[in-house]
Amino acid sequence: MHNTWLIVRREYLERIRSKAFIIMTLLMPVFMASTILIPAMLSGIKSGGTRRIVLVANNPEVAEAVKQQLIAPPQVSDRTPQKAGGSKSAEQAPRYAVSIDTNATDAERTALRQQITDGKIDGFLWLTDNDLANRKVIYNAKDVTDFGESIELRNAVQTALTKRQLAQKGMSGAEVEDLLKPIDLDSIRIEKGKEGASGISVFLVSFTMVMLLYVNMLVYGFAVMRSIIEEKSSRILEVLLSSVTSKHLLAGKIIGVGAVGLTQTVIWLLVALAFSVPGLMASRSIMSNVQIPMSGIIAFAVFFILGYFLYATMYAALGSMVNSDQEAQQVQWPAMLPIIFSIVLSTPVLQHPNSSLAFWTSMVPFFAPILMFVRVMVETPPMWQIALCIALMLLTTWGLLGLSSRIHRVGILMYGKRPTLPELRKWLRYAG
Amino acid sequence: MPDTVELRGIHKTYDQFVAVDHLSFNIREGSVYGLLGPNGAGKTSTIRMMIGINIPDEGEVWLFGEKFHREQLQRIGYLPEERGLYKRMKVIEHLIFLGRLHGMSATEAQKRSLEWCERLQLSEWTQKKVEELSKGMQQKIQFIAALLHDPDLMILDEPFSGLDPANAVMLKDVMLDLKKAGKTILFSTHRMDQVERLCESICLIDHGRSVLEGDLKKIKASYGKNTVQMQYEGDLPFDRCELIQSVNNYGNYVEVRLKPGADSQELLRMASQHARISRFELVEPSLEEIFIDMVGQNA
Repeated sequence: MHNTWLIVRREYLERIRSKAFIIMTLLMPVFMASTILIPAMLSGIKSGGTRRIVLVANNPEVAEAVKQQLIAPPQVSDRTPQKAGGSKSAEQAPRYAVSIDTNATDAERTALRQQITDGKIDGFLWLTDNDLANRKVIYNAKDVTDFGESIELRNAVQTALTKRQLAQKGMSGAEVEDLLKPIDLDSIRIEKGKEGASGISVFLVSFTMVMLLYVNMLVYGFAVMRSIIEEKSSRILEVLLSSVTSKHLLAGKIIGVGAVGLTQTVIWLLVALAFSVPGLMASRSIMSNVQIPMSGIIAFAVFFILGYFLYATMYAALGSMVNSDQEAQQVQWPAMLPIIFSIVLSTPVLQHPNSSLAFWTSMVPFFAPILMFVRVMVETPPMWQIALCIALMLLTTWGLLGLSSRIHRVGILMYGKRPTLPELRKWLRYAG
Repeated sequence: MPDTVELRGIHKTYDQFVAVDHLSFNIREGSVYGLLGPNGAGKTSTIRMMIGINIPDEGEVWLFGEKFHREQLQRIGYLPEERGLYKRMKVIEHLIFLGRLHGMSATEAQKRSLEWCERLQLSEWTQKKVEELSKGMQQKIQFIAALLHDPDLMILDEPFSGLDPANAVMLKDVMLDLKKAGKTILFSTHRMDQVERLCESICLIDHGRSVLEGDLKKIKASYGKNTVQMQYEGDLPFDRCELIQSVNNYGNYVEVRLKPGADSQELLRMASQHARISRFELVEPSLEEIFIDMVGQNA
């Protein structure tokens, strides 16, 4: 055990100090932030420019109503989710500089077209009474590929007309405003008789956590594999084996690399928390009413660790069979396949967490880290199921560790070609 | 006093291939023992079974008078033929790590590492990364790692391969000092000249079997002085000479094994007719001669 601890310590310290680790740990949050921020910034830049639009109508009142609708900030209900792209239009100055033209003649149309070509205006909206009666208006512009703009214009016209008609039917301005307020639908999860997190937020949080589980198992499982191969190719392995058993060596390696993965994930979570908390406080966004159930947090920690150990021992067995990184690429599919398969299965399990499909697949140790976690997140299954699932995972991991260390012990003697399955059976016998 | 190493008929097969075939030998405490054999004879397999990396199918390994158990590994220093270091670790940290794996405390490991680095002229390199060192220096580090914990038994597999003569002498001196201090050394190689200079006893193995085992002097004496070393100018028709069993040309001189009962004086008369002899010496056969003889017979 003392030797295992020494291996853990070396593996952990060497990795934590490496430039690769530091760069990866720092770059990941930057990368994640930029994937969220840059598109928002880009659309912000585009929408920053004011669009000069001419409204052409026989009826100046109609034109005025549409104009008001366009320059006024769009209506936002108290609880409307503000997506990264949606919030800006509410806060920014009106995007449109609108002028009204009551001269709805063909000559004027030609003149306006010329103005677009000359770049004096960006577009004009043809709102004659006739067109409005047919409920079909035409927007002419230099570029009409901005669907957001088309939708905004259509909504503005629609709302303006609706308001006008309602007012004509005798409703007050306030009544009309009230009537046109958008409606939100929130699905709230019931947990032990109490209201829990809302559906969409549970989905988003589960999704993020599943991705973290997935990345951790793949990246750090593969790191274990490479580390084993590196010891073989640098020829240090035999020196180590003169004082450590294969089993202790592999166990130490798996724990050490896992501790690095855990450190990195915790750093990322802390960074994410540090950046998102002020944002969440400020804006009542979709994430603000996320209450991750405590059971979910515990389940994440448990399946993060158990899932890693299970897959790391599997990668260790595969790494013990081969001698080079190229070969490692070829043999890693037995470890990758179940991970990918469980990601695929996570959707049906998410939708029907109590189905027999969900039960049986989440009991398979290789699927359990992701599927059982998903089940706990959406609807906590009976305790005995979780306990059974954890017990099965631990047993499988222990069995795999024994298997890996036997392969490892024989594998050092067999340089050259990697073993076929029957050869592998013989290896296990040699290990004695 | 029990022998430091006692192999009792150890046997290991891989599928059809017999790597080690019921091998037995003893190594006396405080001696330098040579384990010889051609490539693939089973030297490394034997050593691996001695230190528990592999487990024999049959037979037993006894060390220090007890049946093998893993605690004994703390008294053994092993320098494998396949050796390497973690490239990105600092030299001193690497040595401390390996020392601690052999049960030393961190401070003790550090102290002894620095002492040994000084003795082997590596002091300026202790804070460098392993990958910055030359191959020869790395090999000296590995040598230090094997003896850092002051083991009672050292197992050195081809310790001199790849070293320049100056470093080889440095290592040899360390080995002799260890021997003086009462340590037992098992020395595995196929370089016969080194064995001849360092070892007291040998075991020559071929195809996993022991073909010659015992005290080196006695082995050589048993062959008798039936070998002639000659230096000459001219051309000697050895292949037509009926006195000769085998010839080994070393370039500067020739070593000739006589047939049993052949007279060396007759060879001298024959040779002087054909060439100018500058040296003619009757000697015991060199180990290399014996090696080629034994292995050749069994091949």
